[in-house]
Amino acid sequence: MRDLIVLGGSTHPNLTRSICRNLTLQQGEAESRKFANGETSIEIKDSVREKDVFIVQSGCGHVNDAFIELLIMISACKTASAKRVTAVLPLFPYSRQPDVPHQASHTGAPSIITKKDHYTFESAPGTPKPLSKKEGDRFQLGAQNNTSGIFSAVKQPLPIRSYSPKSIVTNAASTNFQVDASGKTESGYKQWVSPNGTLIANLLQTAGADRMITMDLHDPQFQGFFNVPVDNLYSRPLLQHYIVDYIPNYRDCVVVSPDSGGAKRATAVADAIGCSFALIHKERRAKIGKNPPSTTSSNMQSSLSQQTTMVATTMLVGDVKDKVCVLIDDLVDTSYTITRAAKLLKDSGAKYVYALVTHGVFSGDALNRINKSAIDKVITTNSVPQGEHVAILGDKLEVLDVSRIFAEAIRRINNGESVSMLFDHGW
Amino acid sequence: MHGRLPNSIKLIAGNSHPELCDAIAARLGIPLARVGAFQYTNQETAVTIGESVRDEDVYIIQTGTGYDNLNDFVMELLVIINGCRIASARRITVVIPTFPYARQDRKDKSRAPITAKLMANLLQCAGCDHVITLDLHASQIQGFFRVPVDNLYAEPSVLRYITDTFRNEINELIIVSPDAGGAKRVAAIADKLDVPFALIHKERQKANEVSRMVLVGDVTDKICVLVDDIADTCGTLCKAADVLLSNGAQKVVCVVSHGIFSGNAITNLNNSKLDKVVCTNSLPIKDKLEQCSKLEMIDISPTLAEAIRRLHNGESVSYLFNHVPE
Repeated sequence: MRDLIVLGGSTHPNLTRSICRNLTLQQGEAESRKFANGETSIEIKDSVREKDVFIVQSGCGHVNDAFIELLIMISACKTASAKRVTAVLPLFPYSRQPDVPHQASHTGAPSIITKKDHYTFESAPGTPKPLSKKEGDRFQLGAQNNTSGIFSAVKQPLPIRSYSPKSIVTNAASTNFQVDASGKTESGYKQWVSPNGTLIANLLQTAGADRMITMDLHDPQFQGFFNVPVDNLYSRPLLQHYIVDYIPNYRDCVVVSPDSGGAKRATAVADAIGCSFALIHKERRAKIGKNPPSTTSSNMQSSLSQQTTMVATTMLVGDVKDKVCVLIDDLVDTSYTITRAAKLLKDSGAKYVYALVTHGVFSGDALNRINKSAIDKVITTNSVPQGEHVAILGDKLEVLDVSRIFAEAIRRINNGESVSMLFDHGW
Repeated sequence: MHGRLPNSIKLIAGNSHPELCDAIAARLGIPLARVGAFQYTNQETAVTIGESVRDEDVYIIQTGTGYDNLNDFVMELLVIINGCRIASARRITVVIPTFPYARQDRKDKSRAPITAKLMANLLQCAGCDHVITLDLHASQIQGFFRVPVDNLYAEPSVLRYITDTFRNEINELIIVSPDAGGAKRVAAIADKLDVPFALIHKERQKANEVSRMVLVGDVTDKICVLVDDIADTCGTLCKAADVLLSNGAQKVVCVVSHGIFSGNAITNLNNSKLDKVVCTNSLPIKDKLEQCSKLEMIDISPTLAEAIRRLHNGESVSYLFNHVPE
């Protein structure tokens, strides 16, 4: 290895260690700690002068801390005369750009961790079901594994630090304003969430990163936000291998995409292993009440919020009756999409539901939801640390190792070889 | 209620210091804009824009605070700047009373990051057009930016506080700098008050740890006013107070611009021989005021509000370097 040094951020030391082991390389020494005032302090102990530096940091856990830490490390290496600095981001932070404004009372990603005893995996109104079933059957159908013993054993994942995410800004003036179902305020301005993708890309480049390596970017367009090369590796060969090797009679199973955005990803897998494909389509639209809104401004807010409601509908396209279903997605965060999809599949007569996801973030109460959901098995990769998740989900979760893919990519980039063979070849 | 004039001013509050934001908004007599940052469960920060900022003069108030979420507040600021830029704001000014990472401003050992420079680059990369800050740890940080930086001083407010508090004892005062680096700041204050000044020289071995202190100057029977820019763990200040008292000082009062008070600072202060510790509200210290009876606050929001007003109207800001707005 010429002039190669691999440094690890604090988010995923195990992955860094495995990557170094695969490269038969001593990991570079870098210390990250916090000053008493909360500022991150980085100390790079090995010389990086004229070296090819790779910094491994995943976008998980305390994302902002991890990201700033990475930026400081990159800039420290740059100012210490490193030849080239490559950021290795197995899970790219901020790669998913939510477009739904958060409102506690509305749909959209929830921002407060709440532990509930009872979950419904229902989208509102209920997903149209092909079979008529009694109300009482519904929950059991969705959770064939769940005995009452497991229910009580569900543990709440504990945050490592006493940090509790501030869900909503503290100044009342800025967010506690009424929006109707389509996200409009009373002045008629449509509230929106600004996308952060370009910002993140620019920040990394500003810090001095010369190259990125990442895996399964949520948006392929994300690559275009950078002016430096981005190597987007795929976990698909890995997932395909799992299907072929571990799912009995895999040719009879149905590959399902839990939303229309992931259809391409799922069809690629279905084509490669030669099995059938189904799609779940999710739609969110505003349902407007019958009476026109009153024109007096005093009634405006209440009438708006009463008359319009958000309606989410999901429907299944394809036949899954008595089949083994394999849900394929790139990222599971709150697990709302995937648990709803699993319930819909079971309601439609699926025998067994696998969920294959590249990045298992499992934030909020995702693990509890999954534990109580209709998903029979979750397969994910160690792009983010899975130790705690395995401790809670137990046998329900299986973790595939991606360190070999990253190690090989690092080796090839360092040697100036082509990385493209990693895209197809099974690793 | 929310009617607006063309090209008007928009004040956006970050989550780091709501009280200061409210005080500035009240002083300027305008409401805070309906733009706010929040976090998803995966701890990624996002910003909702609830009203138009197109072609507006936008001021974002955020300060560098918090042990666990300092970096969250930095990201929040970057995300809000970016959001406003995307939303076609005419000019984006960030108001950062306490500049985060200001003390990591030089390469003091091999491969040490110059994080203050990185912060400057990140802010500009996100799209800020102007920076207002207060008592930068090193004024050279202004040179890290390619955009204009208005570095305001807490000094006028501090002077006013000292003259108000020690109106009758002004002849007994002596201004003391707890380290050689602050000598210039302290000399300026001493000159303006026309009182003598002293200096404590310390030999620092490790960050946040103090070894030996030597006093330069005579403090016998004097009321010592220690002046510094940042009070962090307060180790230096407490030790300095001991040195002064053992050299015959009557009592020791401490005035700082930024009261971070991290770690054991509050315990240190409560156990120390310091008579009083005064700091500005550039950082949220509300809960610390309750925990420590020695702590007093100087309200800096009039200065910041006046700077915003002057910048918006295109007036000179230099008046604020020597005066406290009424």
